[in-house]
Amino acid sequence: MTLSWTTLLPVLIILSSLIPGLLIFATPEAAARRRIILNMTGVTVKLLLVALMLAGVSRGFEFRFAIAFLPGAELVLRGDALALQFIALSSVLWLMTTIYAIGYLENSPLRSRFFGYFSLCVSATVGVALAGNMITFLLFYELLTLATFPLVVHRGTPEALRAGRVYLAYTLGGGTVLLMGIALLHSIAGTPDFVPGGYLTSLADEHALSLRIAFGLMIVGLGVKAALVPLHGWLPQAMVAPAPVSALLHAVAVVKAGAFGIIRVVYDVYGIEATTLLSLTRPLAWLAAVTIIFASVRALQQQDIKRRLAYSTVSQVSYITLGVSLVGPIAAVGAIVHLVHQGLMKITLFFCAGNFAETLGIHKIQEMDGLGRRMPWSMAAFTVGALGMIGVPPIAGFISKWYLATGALEVNQDWVLLVLAGSSLLNAAYFLPLLYRGWFRAPPAGGWHENNFAGQRLETHWMLLLPPLVTALLSILVGVFAGSIFSPLGWSQFIVNREFGL
Amino acid sequence: MNFALLSLAIPLFCGLLLLLSGRALRTRTTGFIVIVSTVASLVAAWFALQEAAAAGADIMLNLGGWETGLAIRLRLSSLSALLLVFTALMHLLIGLYAGLSRDGIKRDYWALSCFLHGSLAALWLSADLFNLYITLELLGLTAVAMVALAGPKAYKPAANYLILSLAASLFYLLGVALLYGRYGELDVLLLAPRTQADVITRLALLLMTTGLMLKAALWPLHLWLPPAHASAPTAVSALLSGLVVKGPLFILWVLWSEVAPPTLAQQIGPVLAIAGMIALTAGGLSAMRSPHIKTLVAYSTVAQLGYALMALGLLLTWQLPQMHIALWLFVIAHGLAKASLFLAAGEMQSSLGTKRVDGLRGATQTVPVAMFAFAVAGGSLIGLPPSGGFLAKWVLLEPILSEPGNWPWAMGVLLGTLVSAAYIFRIVAISFDRAQINPLDINPDRVGHWLALLPALMVWGMALSGEWLIRLLAGGPV
Repeated sequence: MTLSWTTLLPVLIILSSLIPGLLIFATPEAAARRRIILNMTGVTVKLLLVALMLAGVSRGFEFRFAIAFLPGAELVLRGDALALQFIALSSVLWLMTTIYAIGYLENSPLRSRFFGYFSLCVSATVGVALAGNMITFLLFYELLTLATFPLVVHRGTPEALRAGRVYLAYTLGGGTVLLMGIALLHSIAGTPDFVPGGYLTSLADEHALSLRIAFGLMIVGLGVKAALVPLHGWLPQAMVAPAPVSALLHAVAVVKAGAFGIIRVVYDVYGIEATTLLSLTRPLAWLAAVTIIFASVRALQQQDIKRRLAYSTVSQVSYITLGVSLVGPIAAVGAIVHLVHQGLMKITLFFCAGNFAETLGIHKIQEMDGLGRRMPWSMAAFTVGALGMIGVPPIAGFISKWYLATGALEVNQDWVLLVLAGSSLLNAAYFLPLLYRGWFRAPPAGGWHENNFAGQRLETHWMLLLPPLVTALLSILVGVFAGSIFSPLGWSQFIVNREFGL
Repeated sequence: MNFALLSLAIPLFCGLLLLLSGRALRTRTTGFIVIVSTVASLVAAWFALQEAAAAGADIMLNLGGWETGLAIRLRLSSLSALLLVFTALMHLLIGLYAGLSRDGIKRDYWALSCFLHGSLAALWLSADLFNLYITLELLGLTAVAMVALAGPKAYKPAANYLILSLAASLFYLLGVALLYGRYGELDVLLLAPRTQADVITRLALLLMTTGLMLKAALWPLHLWLPPAHASAPTAVSALLSGLVVKGPLFILWVLWSEVAPPTLAQQIGPVLAIAGMIALTAGGLSAMRSPHIKTLVAYSTVAQLGYALMALGLLLTWQLPQMHIALWLFVIAHGLAKASLFLAAGEMQSSLGTKRVDGLRGATQTVPVAMFAFAVAGGSLIGLPPSGGFLAKWVLLEPILSEPGNWPWAMGVLLGTLVSAAYIFRIVAISFDRAQINPLDINPDRVGHWLALLPALMVWGMALSGEWLIRLLAGGPV
């Protein structure tokens, strides 16, 4: 194997967060500066490497690294356009979340452990994105479970441990089912690299039953992390984790790993042709539609801000699955772009929810009255995120919904419009009351529960305030500049052109 | 072959030397000598492995130059060479721990561990049912003596172990005698083409299987194992669970895959495979309920041996010789992982001053390295990629999934994975409890904790050489 920069770059991208992570574990608790330097160096290096790869892939370079692992199944890391969509998202949001977490955890115990696992978690996420075949994907998918568990139980309270157990039961169970699916697939077709259009088309007739079962097993395994109903139970529970962890879990790492896996399986393993031949798309679309509506209704019933956001995640992530299962190029653009858009908007919402809790001790929706007067900036960012989720132009969420809707019409699946419209109405129903309370109600007469950072120039710690403002701004910018090639939308178009051979 | 003999002779001579020297040497010197000799044995085993791999076929040796049939015949295959390396490596890792960790170990441990090493090496190389009996007996007696090293509280489990071990040997010997009476031959290769599915052979095989299953603690004959392994000193528990139970398993494999006529093997295959599935579940459930850390780890051995038994059973049922790859990958992965688990469990026990699972609250903060070792080794038992346990599970799954008729067996693997995950993460979850942290009893021994981590890292490293291992075990030149 010749070592050139194109082979090494995928490895370096993973190492750029893995090595700082391991060093952080060895950092003494008191050495906060060293930890921050390690974190920031890792993020910066990673962003530079990702930019390099982005430039390379858009010029048609191939990035592939492989080592022997199992007979007929190497460990392959490959940077292609779809991988980059996910990597770019996770690297940018990792930067934001790291800044946020440094501010959030200031002076709390066990920070070395926290940031160590935090970096491992990002390494695993990037690994999921770069995985070049199903075995490699499985490997990083499981590592992601292991790296996130300590973050979910970080607080170490009985509730956190209970949530952690539930989380593990779901994700390890899902991982095992996924392994079965992958092993079954391997016994039929081996484990070649992901390829646009899939590698199973020629086998679809002969092994129809086995391939259907393997697909079902893999969707169940991936659906656990992607929180498809009825496999979503862990997600609202995992809300006990610290706010930066929730942000990471929901916007970047865990749910996205599941959704990304579904994209890979449908497009690059089975391929659109074989999925259609085996009539697998219709059940998947229905599953996604049910999840979207059911979770929105559940969100409406929640009185806790973070839990409402959690159910909203369940619903929004399924847009990706829905778009994928419609097997039309326009809907596919909507699905792939939503991977990024949902991430930006949801992380904004979680950052803001964390700010409310940290600054004023607000956890419940009833307590949000008058919040806009005390914390206008956070509330503004929250508003951008919420309106984006509803689908108000020009925020990112509008672009996704527009493409999903036109994509559905293109393939004559008109019923999807009903789902989208219903979901948008429900989105509005569960987000607008929050905005109304925040901006138009008077603050509580008795003052806030807590009032940290009162009388200072900024409404809260600058490290807590900056990240949501940046991500809110980004959610608007990616909507406004959607026409440019380096916008998420332009890039999704580029991916879809390759997947559909356009 | 000479290297293999060297790998076998070095520990035996070292053990004899230590016996003769009596009390003349200090414990530290003794430990040093044993570790050096283990390294020498490991190097020899490595060269033997190269030789076997290059030959691509079994190498036979008649000791003393007697002709076949009279001589003690040794057989070096790539599997036995690999097991020689594995045995020496395990002894080295556990010896380093025993020598360098603060708790230390009694002087007698060292001579006994040499004999254990020697008798296992002889077992892997024997190709004769009676020689196998001798090595089995040596192995059992050494193991019992090692359990008793823990002092008076271990005498009862040690005595039980002794009685069961002797009874099991008798069963085995009776079977050997029957076979000798019937065929006048005990050499595995000479016996193999001659065996027939008659009553005497059936009875002999049944007796031998019972004895071996008892010795290997295979379900349902496993009840002696948890108390014996849990009460032994930490280093000994690691050796017993990681290595000793694998000896009888090897004989069982030789017996059924080579000696027994295929028709009989096909009949017993499903029985063994189902026993393996039950072992996985029942052992795992017992581990999940166990209140003590070391008992939990010991029950996990019962459960994990279920994988090996399942692989053996399916090998016989389908007469698929390549299934033995899965079997031996399980053995090696389990050995390394279990060594780490026992060492970590022992270190956590002594640092936290508790034997109970509840006592591990907050262990990620108080004993982070040992807890990490436990979790990493546990990951391999669960079979998370890219660990050795995953490698084995993958190889086992391949033939199961390739034929729709075999799919029900996949349930066994699925169950095994979930149950192992449940008992491993039971410990891991408790260790993250910050509400009521169990404080340290004594300052943790950093060296000991890191040495506990070493085998766990190796089992995860196995994945990198996965393809090489599989080709090696498949036979033929590498």
